[in-house]
Amino acid sequence: MILLRNVSLRLKGAQVLRNINLEIPPGGVFALIGPGASGKSLLFKVITGLLRPDEGDVHVDGDCLTGLGDIELGPIRRKIGMLFQNYALFDHMSVYENIAFPLRRLFNYSEEQIAQIVAERLHRVSLPGFQDRFPPGLSGGQKKRVGIARATAQRAPIILYDEPTAGLDPVNSQKIYDLIRDEQRAQGTTAVVISSDVAGLLTVADRVAMMHRGELLFAGTTAHAQRSGHAAVNQFVHGLTEGPL
Amino acid sequence: MSETVRSETPFGLIVPERMGKAVLGIAEQVGGMGVLTGQLVARMLPPRIDRFELIRNMHKMGVRSVGIVSSTALFTGGTIIIQAAPLVVRFGATAIIGWAAGFAMLREVAPLLIALMFSGRVGANNTAELGTMVVTDQLDALRALAIDPISYLILPRVISMIVMLFALNVIGDLVALTGAVIGANALLDVDFALFMDSFLTMLEAWDFVLSMIKSLAFGVMIAITSCYFGLTVTGGAPGVGRAVNSSVVAAAIGIFVMDYFSTFVLK
Repeated sequence: MILLRNVSLRLKGAQVLRNINLEIPPGGVFALIGPGASGKSLLFKVITGLLRPDEGDVHVDGDCLTGLGDIELGPIRRKIGMLFQNYALFDHMSVYENIAFPLRRLFNYSEEQIAQIVAERLHRVSLPGFQDRFPPGLSGGQKKRVGIARATAQRAPIILYDEPTAGLDPVNSQKIYDLIRDEQRAQGTTAVVISSDVAGLLTVADRVAMMHRGELLFAGTTAHAQRSGHAAVNQFVHGLTEGPL
Repeated sequence: MSETVRSETPFGLIVPERMGKAVLGIAEQVGGMGVLTGQLVARMLPPRIDRFELIRNMHKMGVRSVGIVSSTALFTGGTIIIQAAPLVVRFGATAIIGWAAGFAMLREVAPLLIALMFSGRVGANNTAELGTMVVTDQLDALRALAIDPISYLILPRVISMIVMLFALNVIGDLVALTGAVIGANALLDVDFALFMDSFLTMLEAWDFVLSMIKSLAFGVMIAITSCYFGLTVTGGAPGVGRAVNSSVVAAAIGIFVMDYFSTFVLK
């Protein structure tokens, strides 16, 4: 479970997160939605300890992140796999090396086991035969899928996906959502997904939270979000042009 | 209509204000480099270095620089002879041309020029690489994977730069000497034996050691500045360009300042 209590954050003098209280229950697909620059990606960085909130506490799987340094955060971060918004693949490594990297560094897998896991992950994201390619030679969609393969390779109980379908066509977007859903069911993980493609995301999400200007406007089930009485939530979920946003 | 932004600083204080900002900026950079150096030293006790990254960087930064360093050194050695030739002929000092060329190259020209070449090729590339990694979240990805970027990424680069500049300086000294021998033979008709006679009898081991000490100091300077400016990039791709520029300028200034003080102290 991920728990945020009264989390606030200022960056370069601007209040980017305001008093966030959010509980993400274990298991299931949790959608984090909201207009651009509403603080969703920053919230991911707070959850992984990459950014420290000015106020409030963050708990991941029962461990409180407050006051922990990078070394103490290590065991907590191993419980989290993360797909970054702009892939964050290591350019100097091949696709194989990128996916194998966390397995080699964090676990005691043999090279045969690593090769098996990498091949299975690449097959899962429909990129078999891409292991020797390098990230600069891949398309945006292919990079996303390699990023997903890397984020899920270590079988972490929590996976954070930041805009996994940005720049993809509707067919490939839906394939990615289905993949996230299937992965979550197969591994029993907690998948937290940020996406601007609300319609697609809500087809697989169990619960939804919406942020706007650093504030949490809504948190509840997907069904509740779709018939929310909150004007901004209703407008965003249904893609309406008229409304407060 | 364009909007004119007016400074609220009184006219008489604009220059002091800008100077103050510049001083604060330099202080921040020097302090940042100090902090980075401290972090690197802390990771050395005990050493936690990724061997694969170390070897990869030594090859990329050192082995691939041999060609450019050698060609620089060869022509520099020859140029020293061309510059010295008229005076040597006028004073009939061909017997000490080996000492003169060796003294100038070992003590000053070779370590300085090789360090500047290394800074332009390797230091600039290192800043660009690290800066790109920062703006594309690759460093955050490392941290999110519970991997310390300083141990995994920075320490192997710093060690590689220091060790490989030292090695390149040895190679550069020898190649520059070869260039000087060729130049002396072609322009002054000084044969190899005569050249080496004054080189070996009049120069001391200390001259060579001083060249090595300087290359180590320059290596530290290039490594720290290039990593610092790479790690502190902000502002996307244009920010990477600015960081590379700042890194090369800062390294060059640092090299000349270090050269002055090392020459003064170790003369």
